[in-house]
Amino acid sequence: MIEKGKISATQMGIMMYLTIIATAILLVPAITARQAKQDMWLSPFWASFIGFLTVYIAVQLHQLYPQKNLIEYSEDILGKFLGKAVGLIFLFFYLHVSGIIIREYGEFIVGSFLLHTPLVFVMGTIILVCSFAVRCGLEVIGRLAEMIVPVVIIMILILLILLIPDMEVANMFPIMEKGMMPSLKGAVIPQGWFTEFFLIAFLLPYVADRNKAKKWGMISVVAVMLTLSFVNIAVLFVLGELTAGFIYPAMSAVRYISIAGFLEHIEAIVAALWVAGVFLKIAVFYYALVLGTAQWLNLSDYRPIIFPVGFLLLLFSIWSASNLMELTHFLGSSSPFYRISIQMGIPLILLFIAKWRKRASNSNQGKYQG
Amino acid sequence: MGILQKAAKILFVCVHLMLLSGCWDRTEVNDLALIVGLGIDQKKDGKIMLTVQLVVPKSIGGGGQMGGGGGGGGETIVRSGTGATVADAISNLQEKLSRRVFWGHTKVVVFGERAAKAGIRQHLDFLSRNPQTRLRSNVLVSKGTAKSVLELLPPIEQSSAEVMRELSESQLLLRVTIKDALQMLSGDAGAAALPMVKILPPEKGKKELQTIAFIQRTAIFKKDKMIGDIDDKLTRGVLWLRNEIKLANITVRLKGEKGNITSTLIRAHTEFIPKYGKGKWKMIVKATAEDDILLNGTKLDLLNPKHTKMIEKELENETDKRIRAALKKVQKELKADIFGFAEIFHRKYPREWNRVKNRWEEIFPTVEVVVKTKVYVRRPGMNTAPQGLPEQEVKQ
Repeated sequence: MIEKGKISATQMGIMMYLTIIATAILLVPAITARQAKQDMWLSPFWASFIGFLTVYIAVQLHQLYPQKNLIEYSEDILGKFLGKAVGLIFLFFYLHVSGIIIREYGEFIVGSFLLHTPLVFVMGTIILVCSFAVRCGLEVIGRLAEMIVPVVIIMILILLILLIPDMEVANMFPIMEKGMMPSLKGAVIPQGWFTEFFLIAFLLPYVADRNKAKKWGMISVVAVMLTLSFVNIAVLFVLGELTAGFIYPAMSAVRYISIAGFLEHIEAIVAALWVAGVFLKIAVFYYALVLGTAQWLNLSDYRPIIFPVGFLLLLFSIWSASNLMELTHFLGSSSPFYRISIQMGIPLILLFIAKWRKRASNSNQGKYQG
Repeated sequence: MGILQKAAKILFVCVHLMLLSGCWDRTEVNDLALIVGLGIDQKKDGKIMLTVQLVVPKSIGGGGQMGGGGGGGGETIVRSGTGATVADAISNLQEKLSRRVFWGHTKVVVFGERAAKAGIRQHLDFLSRNPQTRLRSNVLVSKGTAKSVLELLPPIEQSSAEVMRELSESQLLLRVTIKDALQMLSGDAGAAALPMVKILPPEKGKKELQTIAFIQRTAIFKKDKMIGDIDDKLTRGVLWLRNEIKLANITVRLKGEKGNITSTLIRAHTEFIPKYGKGKWKMIVKATAEDDILLNGTKLDLLNPKHTKMIEKELENETDKRIRAALKKVQKELKADIFGFAEIFHRKYPREWNRVKNRWEEIFPTVEVVVKTKVYVRRPGMNTAPQGLPEQEVKQ
């Protein structure tokens, strides 16, 4: 195995929690609000089903091939040629998606804080920092997550509490005015974020306490669902019908906080949250990408390709969209189908074939099973 | 080799130290023009005139109050720029300023009457789109031009923008932030209300500009265009109908008694109960208030529960009168739903409301409003019997 480190199931859950909410928390409320209107707080509930399903698929596949990750067992399942092809699809997918995540980060920082700093510089520095983290291996990323997540959760709670004076509960009504449809439609896009849970397929082989992995994966999905719901509710209560009109509604809501005339202008906390969260998110994606590439190419170590892949990521982040409008349009229209079909569709097919193969080989040989 | 490696490490750290020293595009505070107040006027030719009030940092730091004696030598200065839009006017304004404009401290945004009548949506769009401005800035309309209001040199506060912010936040009359204004404009009701300021005539012997502008009226908007305004008395009625009343002193006269009784509001709440049946929209407005007595000009002993009941009754009548007057003017004459009845109906009767939502403007004036007021007098203040009156004259 290339990766020798081990993480605990708890670390994996914590890592995934931050990986999902880091970008979701800022972008999803507005995208959801466009469809779901005042029912936007319901949408994460519907969307989370796909999260549970994704975790279930990843864990099932893992139980069939406990020592291997996606790139390795897809070859076992589909044979050398098709397996490599599936691996390539995943690697390109992660390359593209990581590029988009880095772009989201860059757009946010440049659009709201560093207006005159070149985008490439902002994105390049975060890639550089992440590449250091990836070089240190999975254990370090896991410990980083343990360190960052409590801070992030406390910050989110503090911000939600500070928003209470400006909340208008009436914004929530009428609940389900047009039935379930708007909230279901609003759930389509957050689903894309929940399918990112499939990243655990790359982490599971290195989890020390395997039996707890499924439990922590599910806890992580629940935590993400609750966080997104609470953030959506808070934003809805503060901004009401205006939510859909903002690009980063959570940010705009936080900018509105003013307690006793002096506790205000605290959007820097949101920026800190975002930078910390996105740092971990990119690191996890980057890690999966680099590890997968090394395995795909049958390399003995993944470290030599970290920096080359980093440059590729920078290029992909620049290529992914020509401006912010295009980026949000992609995220709000075709991206969920793209993400769901690759992160859930392909694994589901793999799982069916694997189960079928196991059964066939079991009945042929009647020997033990892995 | 060990030394070489160490040296390389130290060098590596030192290189980073150089990067830490600062941002490449930093802007020092003394390169910024801190804008505290923003005025938007429309000129006769349709162009937008933007007036900004800037803090002069020098005089805030040390110095002390030198007043407006020097004529414009105060703590703030006012500059204007013109252009086709607000954003356009900024570049014109920037030409006249040695420092870069900075919007992060904008406390108030004032619309001139003419600009308000022409429509304020595009200006609000700029204020919400710009990453520097804050959605919490207070929005006001001025009688006359916004420039005339910002030019004032108030005797107490540092700037006239600060005066308007303080007055807005006192919530004596209406208080509206950019967020509130946007919510009203994009809401179901299609109407908005903004506080309106008027210049207080300067005291005798003071210079013309040494005065303040104070919130005295309320401007009523339909869509984003101002269609009229109402005075402070009617505004209090409107505040009851928006459940925003915070401060109020009500003076009443009791039947058969000489003298007035004034009470002050401690707590107030308005409840709205929408009703719909047979194509008729009805709104029950339940206003509840808790009062303390502030002044007793009658001969009544306030500890007598019978007297308290009488006062409560009279206060209820007075509140009722205020609310009805506001309804008559705003609902029947101006026909603008600034109370947000549309949202309340929408929430309770979504299906029925959706059927009429395009005709809401016609329906709103026909909505039957039932006003129910309830006042509780909680305390007589620090005294019981009327003060300064011989005991035998007090009515028990």
